[in-house]
Amino acid sequence: MSYTFQFNIIFAHLPELVHGALLSLLLALAGFWIGAPFALLLAAIRTSGPVWLKRIAGVYVIFVTNTPVLIHIYFLFFGLPELGIRLDKYWTVIAALVMATAAYGCEIMRGGFLSVRRSEMEAAETLGFSRFQTVLYVIVPHIMKTIYPALANYFIVLTLSTSMAMIIGVEELLGTAYNIASDNYRHLEAFIVAAGFYVVITFVASLSLALIGRWAFRVRAKIF
Amino acid sequence: MEQVLSQIPEFLSPANIRFLVQAMGVTIALTFFGCGLGFLLAFFVVFARQTPGHWALPLRAAAILFVETFRRIPFLVTIYLVLFGLAVIVKNASLFAIALIAICIYATAYSADIIRGGFESVPRQQIEAARAMNFGRWRTMIHVIIPQSWPVILPPAMVFMVAFVKDTALVSQLGVFELTFRGKELANQGFSAVLVYSTVALLYFVMSYPLTRFGQWLEKRLATPRSQRPQRKLR
Repeated sequence: MSYTFQFNIIFAHLPELVHGALLSLLLALAGFWIGAPFALLLAAIRTSGPVWLKRIAGVYVIFVTNTPVLIHIYFLFFGLPELGIRLDKYWTVIAALVMATAAYGCEIMRGGFLSVRRSEMEAAETLGFSRFQTVLYVIVPHIMKTIYPALANYFIVLTLSTSMAMIIGVEELLGTAYNIASDNYRHLEAFIVAAGFYVVITFVASLSLALIGRWAFRVRAKIF
Repeated sequence: MEQVLSQIPEFLSPANIRFLVQAMGVTIALTFFGCGLGFLLAFFVVFARQTPGHWALPLRAAAILFVETFRRIPFLVTIYLVLFGLAVIVKNASLFAIALIAICIYATAYSADIIRGGFESVPRQQIEAARAMNFGRWRTMIHVIIPQSWPVILPPAMVFMVAFVKDTALVSQLGVFELTFRGKELANQGFSAVLVYSTVALLYFVMSYPLTRFGQWLEKRLATPRSQRPQRKLR
């Protein structure tokens, strides 16, 4: 028990860590927003598509949700070049996150679709809503209210899983911390600071997501 | 592509299969023991978090800080923190022990939240009745709260554990001989990466899918009335 913490060595690299944190957030946002349309498409197929397409979508979702994201990253990064497709490390990570978002997002959205009740649509029809108005004022607010908390949680989980990018050498938050630690052997301090950054990022993200949810979709979820 | 296919007979040699099956065993052992121990420890964390009184304020704060911190940092960071933190206290700890401790910490933090949600679903009157009968806090928890919150706690705890089978893949960064690490070794021996990683993905699927189905079955069986479900927390 004779370890002297020297945080000032790590704090000298603060700008790089902030840069890394921004890259982490960027990867998460890219993964989420590129993946979301695919998730919506898959959810639409799984609720009301032809049977054979439904089955294919189901197999995709079940396979992706039951295998580790790390293996997807390895497959995309080391496996695809053998088949003649080369992605650089950033796109590899984004592709892996998009694959995961499509699968997990599909499950979340499907739950939302199934929660729409027939009587609500009939009520809208009785009130003389057009089809477009029904979707805009009845279905979307209802679905968003049910799926928003789950999607917000998923975004936080996705932000945390961007740390896997470090394994293939992306200099995001954890990768930057690892490189700094390799330069000066202050591993413990570097990872404690990185952990602090992750806590701050996810805390800010969940707080703003909760406020947006409250303001835009009247989601009444406990923040703590 | 032809190259990949031509490697299949060599890849599926008895030695390689034994190698991968052993690695699956290590993955399952890590998940089972790590999550099991974490689940038990989580009860103590929740107990500490719910201790009443001014004197227990630091205890409550410590419990909340522990849970909130480890739920908000990636598992990979937890692994590195345990690896380098433990090196300060113990010299030459085995990698398997380090992995197990990291999993245990992570599982404790997540299970504590699940268990707290379950405990809060127990009607207040039950606890007040137990107090009126002069039950202590331990006896209230063991004889009154746990039996009633069990159906609320078990399904999400099971879902967490099943999801964790996949997360153990990250432990390969330490060099523990589990499935992902063995896969990397085989790829380094010159087998095609497509072949190795699709096999490994398939093996993870074989482990994870039956457990997922079991979890869904459990959830359906233990389904609770709507009013008893804890409110979903926005993390």
